[in-house]
This record gives sequence, C-alpha cells and structure tokens, in this order.
Amino acid sequence: MFDLSSQEWTAVALSLRVSLVATAVSLPFGIAIAWLLARKSFYGKTLLNAVIYLPLVLPPVVTGYLLLIAFGRHGVFGEALARIGIVLAFRWTGAVLSCGIMAFPLMVGAIRLSIEAVDRKFEDAAATLGANRAWTFATITLPLALPGIIAGAVLAFARALGEFGATITFVSNIPGETQTISAAIYTLTQVPGGDIQAFRLVVVAMSISLVALIVSEWFGRRAGARVHGV
Amino acid sequence: MLAVDAAKTLGEFTLAAKFEASGGVTALFGPSGSGKTSLINMIAGLLTPKRGAIVIDGEPVFDSEARIDLPPYRRQIGYVFQDGRLFPHLSVGHNLDYGRRMSGLDRDDGAFKRVVDLLDIAPLLGRRPGALSGGERQRVAIGRALLMRPRLLLLDEPLASLDAARKREILPYLVRLRDETRLPMVYVSHDAAEVKVLANQVVILEDGHVVNTGGTELL
Amino acid sequence: MFARLIAIIALFIATAAEPQAVRADDTITVFAAASMKNALDDADAAFIKAGGPKVTASYAASSALAKQIEQGAPADVFVSADTKWMDYLAGKKLIKPDTRVNLLGNKLVLIAPADSKLANVKIEKGFDIAKLAGDGRIAVADTKAVPAGLYAKAALENLGAWARAEPKLAQGENVRAALAFVARGEAPLGIVYETDAKIEQKVRIVGYFPDTSYPPVIYPVAATVTAKSDATRYLQFLREPTAKSIFEKYGFSFLVKPVS
Repeated sequence: MFDLSSQEWTAVALSLRVSLVATAVSLPFGIAIAWLLARKSFYGKTLLNAVIYLPLVLPPVVTGYLLLIAFGRHGVFGEALARIGIVLAFRWTGAVLSCGIMAFPLMVGAIRLSIEAVDRKFEDAAATLGANRAWTFATITLPLALPGIIAGAVLAFARALGEFGATITFVSNIPGETQTISAAIYTLTQVPGGDIQAFRLVVVAMSISLVALIVSEWFGRRAGARVHGV
Repeated sequence: MLAVDAAKTLGEFTLAAKFEASGGVTALFGPSGSGKTSLINMIAGLLTPKRGAIVIDGEPVFDSEARIDLPPYRRQIGYVFQDGRLFPHLSVGHNLDYGRRMSGLDRDDGAFKRVVDLLDIAPLLGRRPGALSGGERQRVAIGRALLMRPRLLLLDEPLASLDAARKREILPYLVRLRDETRLPMVYVSHDAAEVKVLANQVVILEDGHVVNTGGTELL
Repeated sequence: MFARLIAIIALFIATAAEPQAVRADDTITVFAAASMKNALDDADAAFIKAGGPKVTASYAASSALAKQIEQGAPADVFVSADTKWMDYLAGKKLIKPDTRVNLLGNKLVLIAPADSKLANVKIEKGFDIAKLAGDGRIAVADTKAVPAGLYAKAALENLGAWARAEPKLAQGENVRAALAFVARGEAPLGIVYETDAKIEQKVRIVGYFPDTSYPPVIYPVAATVTAKSDATRYLQFLREPTAKSIFEKYGFSFLVKPVS
C-alpha cells in the first residue's frame, strides 16, 4: 500500500528540490531584509514592510497571476530574462520563485524577531573591540540570532512545500517539471479511484513536515544553548 | 594624553564636561546619575556628543567643528563594561581573542599568556561565559579588552555588580593592571574607597558637570 | 558541526538542482484534455514500450491548456476536446497546421451516482433536468470555456432546458472535476463524456443526449510550433492500430483513417 508509483515519487522529489532551493536561495535575502527592518530606520521602511507581507494577505492565485504577468514569456521581466536564456514560467525554477515568494514573509518575520532580540550591548562591545558593522553582524548578531533564523528557514520550507495556488497559476501542473505534491494530490482527486494515491501523498507530505519540525527543534535547541552561553 | 570637551542633552539631563588626563588611572567620580557612563560612552564612540572635541595623543577622535567622528572600531579604545558583556556563544578563549582578530593584529602568544597570568584566568579558557562566576566574568572582560592592545582603557564601574568579597578579590588585579601595564585608564566609580586605592587623578562629576579635578586627597 | 551540515545541504541542492532524468531533453510533453487521461496514459505506455521516448502528459481543461501554451508553456503536442481551442492556437500561429488531425470522437451522457434511483431517462425536447435534480445540483464543466461545459450548455439550450438548469449548475474546472462531484454523491446529476462515465464505477449513465442536440465532439491533435522532432513520431503512433484499439476500448470513436 505504501510503495509509491513513479509519478508520485516524481512529485515528492520535485517538491523537495523546489522547496529546498527556494529556502536556500531566499535565506540570504531574508536575513538581509530582516536585519534592515530590525536595525535600521529609513525612508520607505513601512512600504517595504508592506510589500514583503503582501503575499501573506493576497489570495495566492492573485500572487501567481501577478508572477505570470511579470515573469511570463511576454511579461515585463520575463521577456528580458528569456533573452538571456532564463525562462521561469512553466518551469521548476518558476515553481521555486512562486514558493519562495509565498514563504518569504514567514521567513522574514521570524528572523526579524530574533535579530531584534539580540542585545545591542553585545554589538556595542564588539564595536569597541574593533569589529566594524559587517564583522559585528557576521560574528555576533548572526550567531546569536541563529535559533530564529533556523525557525524562519524551516517555516519557509514547510510553507514552500505546501504551496499550491500561486504555483499552479504561474507554472501550471506539468508532471516532472512543476507538479509538486500538492498539485499531484489535487490532480489525483479528479482521477477515478485516485483517492488511495492521493492519501499516500498526503501521508508523505505530513511526514516530511514532521521531520522538518523535529530537525528544526533539535537545531534550535542546540543553537539556543550556545546563545545562552552553556 | 586625553583631552575631553563634550556636551549633549539627554532627555531632561544636560551633560557638559571638560577635563584632561595625562596618563595613569583617571577616576571619574560622582553619584549615580551624574553622567559618568554617558561621558565614557562618548569617549568610546558609543554615544555622539552634540558639540565638542575628544582628542587622544593629539589625534581627534571626535570634533564637532571639523566634523570628525570616528566609529568605535577605529578608536583603539578598550572598554570594560559594568556587566562584562562577554559574548555568550563564544568560549572564554575565543572571547579573549576576539579583539585581536577584529583589530587585525598578529597572534602574540607571549602577550596572551601574560594577560592570562595577570588575571589568573588560565583554567577558564575552555569554558563558556554562562559557566563563570561574577568575579571570573569581570576578569575575563578585563583580559578581553587588554588583548586588543588599546591605547586607552575605559572601565565603567567594573566592580559595582560584585559583592564585597569579589570586590576584594578583583581590586588587586586592577592595581596590578595599573602598575604592570602602564596603560592609561579612565575608571568610572561612585565608590570612594576603590578610587583612593586605584586612581592617580580624580575628576568629580555632579549633575553632568565637572566640579573639581585633582588628586585622591579630594575624596 | 554546522559547517558539515551546510556542506551536506549545499551538495544536495547542487545535485538536485539540475533537473535530472526526470525530464530528459527527449521527453515529449503532451497537453491533453482532462477526459483523455486514462486512455492517453495507456497509449503513452504503449508508445514507450514500442521504443518511443518518454512522454509526460499534463491534463487539464482544453481552455486552460491552450492559454498556458499561449503563455509559453513547453508543450510539444496539444490534444483538445473541441476544435474551438485548437482553432484558437492555430489563429495565434502556435501549432503546426500540417500536423493537425481530428483524432477522436465522444458522446455526451447524463450520469448519476451509482446508487441513484434514476434510470433510462428520456432526453428529448422539453426535458426538465432541473426537476430531475430535485434540490441538488447538476455537475458540469465550466460552461464558459471548457469544451465539456460548452457541449453541455449547447445540448441543454437545444432541448429548451437551459434556463431552468442554469441556476442549478455546479461548474467544475474540467470534466473530471464534474465527474468526481457525482462520484462522491455531492451532485445527483452530471453531464460528462461517455468515456468518463465508463471508467468511474461510482457513477451510472442514466441517459444519452441525442446527437442532434450538440455539435459533434471532436478531439483534434497537433504539434506545437516549439515541438521536438520526436513529436511527429508520437503523432504517428496515435493513429496506429495499437493506439486505435486502446482509444476504442475506452469508448472513444476513432475518426482518423488509421496509418499502417
């Protein structure tokens, strides 16, 4: 009952690949923007914050449609990108983009909180010891914010894994290329007798999320212990 | 070697202080709330005065007229904080070495050993700050500031958070520091007994203003 | 310790990031109407068995697929459930006109859940489908764009039943969604293709729409302008006896003259 067909394995492998790449690629941006929002004040900060959180409040299909307008073959950026050989629409790389964007607000939110929680006193001490802002960030702020960064990354991964609306609108549902677990389950619900396969995928999806949560808990606790100096 | 002339309004409190220090231990003495910590934060570069000038060995690190304001990491001023502020995610050894690495200085095992012996912190090197006692933490904090080879050392009431026994334990180390390193120090305290033991020169602060300077006979 | 972990993750991403044999460059991508799913899957398997390259198929409403192809989706072959959407792409010069053939035909049927009390419904002019549905809904594909929905609407209009039926419709995004609705007992009636009804054990055909009430259901197939060279071989295969017998087994009528 639990051996998956080739189509199901393809969907699982694709989902993992898309979610991991989306999380890995957006992490540096997430940390950078979280730091900006946590530590700096600048003209347009409120607007930036609003734009970051937009995917969280817009209907996912709307986000997917906007992505299509921007990055489709005839889209504003899509045309330029296509000229240098980068095509996102209906490709797994497009799925990475849509999943990454949908997961981004959750990542930034968690990381921002953890950076804000880093006591500036340590950053001041580092400065007196000769560390410029970049070094202070790399050697003090980042390590002390690590539990939150891990939490943010895992949250983003889980969200990316479950992403459906924006993805199916932007890159549709092509097996092996853009058919993630969610899309596969959705397709299977329309296949007569496909409920068993759909259920299997549901179990797989839940297991992956569970493993991700356990891993994040473990790493978070280890990082937390370091942060508290033990 | 140090000339300070700084003014700033912090909320309802106005700080306007001017003094000079020629070496040895200069104590900033006064009751709490007199602006001592704000003043040394200005020397360190963690607080920016509204106007004035801070000159070290003839080099201005701050000058409101000439628009000079060196960031803390370029002032080569060591700072021992009242709460130690050891980095919790680094071992004692790495804490000690932090200033040397950030200032881009070469390894000097001799200097490292001298400081570690001076403060008797050799057995603590592998431990994390969370596993240290208050007295041990302060000694490591002093060592950390020393190992960046500063040209001036600031100490903000380093003994204030310790009990009488710890204070008695650490004070001799500070005396050794003064005598063996000959490093100019600015020592903030509201404890006259400490100041009498340590200081060569005393600057008395009250309500954000320098009301007297002189030797320890002032106390 | 962290460094090792990051190295492992980086390695995984680097190796996984290249779409491997899952989508090799000689894979043929077919965009086909949702109602083709089971039959075409079997045909594709036969194609691979006969030595053909791998085929991956994306099934959805013909309207959705046509729009995706228009927006640059990487399809090699398009199978539509009506000529309208094939014409749409032909008009945009997105298919190779000389590869276009009308491949299959189908019939429109009225279905009900397997345990329904209905049987032998006479579908003719004046047929009151709304009354038949009681207070339940009639499951159909989207009547604005999806072929199965367009055929259903045409049939109901022709029979004079549309006005009463329209407010009772439950429109799904493709014909299989409508089928699933009835199969799950969510709707007491549905209008789908005969081939869909035949593969779903949880529904029964309770009536046939007269051929004169709707335009003939024709499934044209064509290669897109971006198709790989192997697409021709695939299209050829769809017209051969092996494929023909598979389609006919599922209940499609084979329109094109078989090749070889």
